[in-house]
Amino acid sequence: MNRIVKKWSALLLAAIMLLSMAACGNNDAPSGGEPQNGAQTGSDVQNGETQTGGDVQTVEIDPQIHFCGSSSLAPVIASIGAAFQDEYGTWDKVNAAFPAEEIDIAVTSGGSGDGPQSVLDGTADFGMLARSVKDGEKESLGAGYTEYMVAYDALTISVNKNNPICGLMDDLDTDTIRKIFSGEIAYWDELDASLEHKEIVVVIRDLSGGAAEVFEKNVMQGTPISENAIQSASMGALAAKIAENEYAIGYAGYGVYNQNLESLYAFKVNGAEPTEENILNGSYTIQRPVLFVINRALDGAEQAFVDYIFSDKGRQIVVENGYIPAF
Amino acid sequence: MRKIADRLLGAAVGALCLLSVLILAFMVFFIVRESLPAIREVGLRDLLLGDQWRPIIYRDAPSYGLRNMILSTLYVSVLAVALALVLGVGCALFLACAATERQRALVMPCIDLLAGIPSVVYGFVGLYIVIRAIEACGRAAGESILAGGIVLSVMILPYMISACCETMVHVRERYGAASRAMGVSRWYMAGALVLPASRRGILISMALATGRAMGETMAVMMVLGNAIAAPSLLGKGETISALIALEMGMAEVGSIHFSALYAAGLVLMVLLFAINIGFELVKRKLSREGSL
Repeated sequence: MNRIVKKWSALLLAAIMLLSMAACGNNDAPSGGEPQNGAQTGSDVQNGETQTGGDVQTVEIDPQIHFCGSSSLAPVIASIGAAFQDEYGTWDKVNAAFPAEEIDIAVTSGGSGDGPQSVLDGTADFGMLARSVKDGEKESLGAGYTEYMVAYDALTISVNKNNPICGLMDDLDTDTIRKIFSGEIAYWDELDASLEHKEIVVVIRDLSGGAAEVFEKNVMQGTPISENAIQSASMGALAAKIAENEYAIGYAGYGVYNQNLESLYAFKVNGAEPTEENILNGSYTIQRPVLFVINRALDGAEQAFVDYIFSDKGRQIVVENGYIPAF
Repeated sequence: MRKIADRLLGAAVGALCLLSVLILAFMVFFIVRESLPAIREVGLRDLLLGDQWRPIIYRDAPSYGLRNMILSTLYVSVLAVALALVLGVGCALFLACAATERQRALVMPCIDLLAGIPSVVYGFVGLYIVIRAIEACGRAAGESILAGGIVLSVMILPYMISACCETMVHVRERYGAASRAMGVSRWYMAGALVLPASRRGILISMALATGRAMGETMAVMMVLGNAIAAPSLLGKGETISALIALEMGMAEVGSIHFSALYAAGLVLMVLLFAINIGFELVKRKLSREGSL
């Protein structure tokens, strides 16, 4: 019975994935095909806004805004989109000049590479990335390229607060962290002779996730992570594991670390504490930017939604998702 | 009139039966089709025997070796079935031979209830009791094949007890009066008559339990540690189902990684088919020898 249920859910999952692929590949003719038109309506909106009083001049917009790309940003944009839909419902409530069509914010999640690619193919309006945009990508996106920095995502190197190492060390350099996570330093007493001869229990996210990617890029740099590392299914589970096991060390995300301040202890990395300030100014290095890009001028609807993302409400949702807002 | 109704019912039931067979066929077809790219790219031998699972390209080329996951799956399942066998057969023997009808009617539903507990709950119990107990014995991390085996054995216990108990009650009903008439003690009858005569029932219960153990995902994922190293009793491991559950969400659609996860599912399915066929063969042999 159980097996059958699992097979079906795998099938369902596959069906959803196929659908989302189809969504990514669907040609969004009005938005992708006519960038000139989009730019024009953008300026028309300004007119519409100034004369909202009497006769309302309607502006042509595309009622659907499509984001495609990084699965790290996707949930954030999806929540902001849902909040936007809840607040307004139809576009004419956002701006009287817009048609009374339903607001549709579609978010397709994939890899960071899918972001710029889908914008280039014209299959999505915005591309989402959880890394800096490569020069080649900027070039191919052309003159209309604009990037919108939403937030920063950082990983803390955390241990259990009851681990006696907290009183002995407060700073680890990248090299030591790499040795711990690769299993080269396998016992706590190899870090400091006064510690117990106990195995260091390394806790990581599953090897294919976004967090694993950040850690790989900023710390491991090609050195394989220890085969004995415990893979957690979520950041919450990872933090819970460290909070519960005195001998554990793991890369808890900035958001989840701050929710567990009473049980976790985060090291400085190369002398920099994982604070909002250090992450924003770049001195804390285990981090990455989370952003979205477009290769043309925004139309009125898109401008309205982008403004909403960078509003206080958007900021609140970014924080709720464990990221540090970049605005 | 009556005949038409009969015929309609017959046709409907036949169609439903065909449909369920078609669904199974479709599922097998789909899984095989999705796993073909990985099998072609990686090679069946490296896929099954490779001991490195590094699906993401960092510095070296990615490798997709499922050996450690296959071993973990088998290790945990065998351990769980072995533990459950001792407990389950003992419990069933007691219920069949020593308990009164009323006691049995009271205990059996409670045992069946064990099967209704969601596996996440078992995972939680494992996480906070079994793992902590192993850690209290001096291990730095309690996540291990042993913890997985213990949690799984409790989960498959109800299947074993129900199936065994049913057979044993039959055996006792058939021979009970005769053996009492011969003055044989109750426990001699249980050990020398009921137990060996129920071999086939025990085997069926083991087949059921193995299937359930190998496919179980959530509870095992929570207590096994999901490390890609080769499994050992007190070391961590990762089962095939946990591997699929952990990585399917992140794997890029259409990539070799994605396909390799389907291939892992295919391996699990083939393993289960093989084990079921094995049990079936032994069962047939036993039934020719006349045990229940």
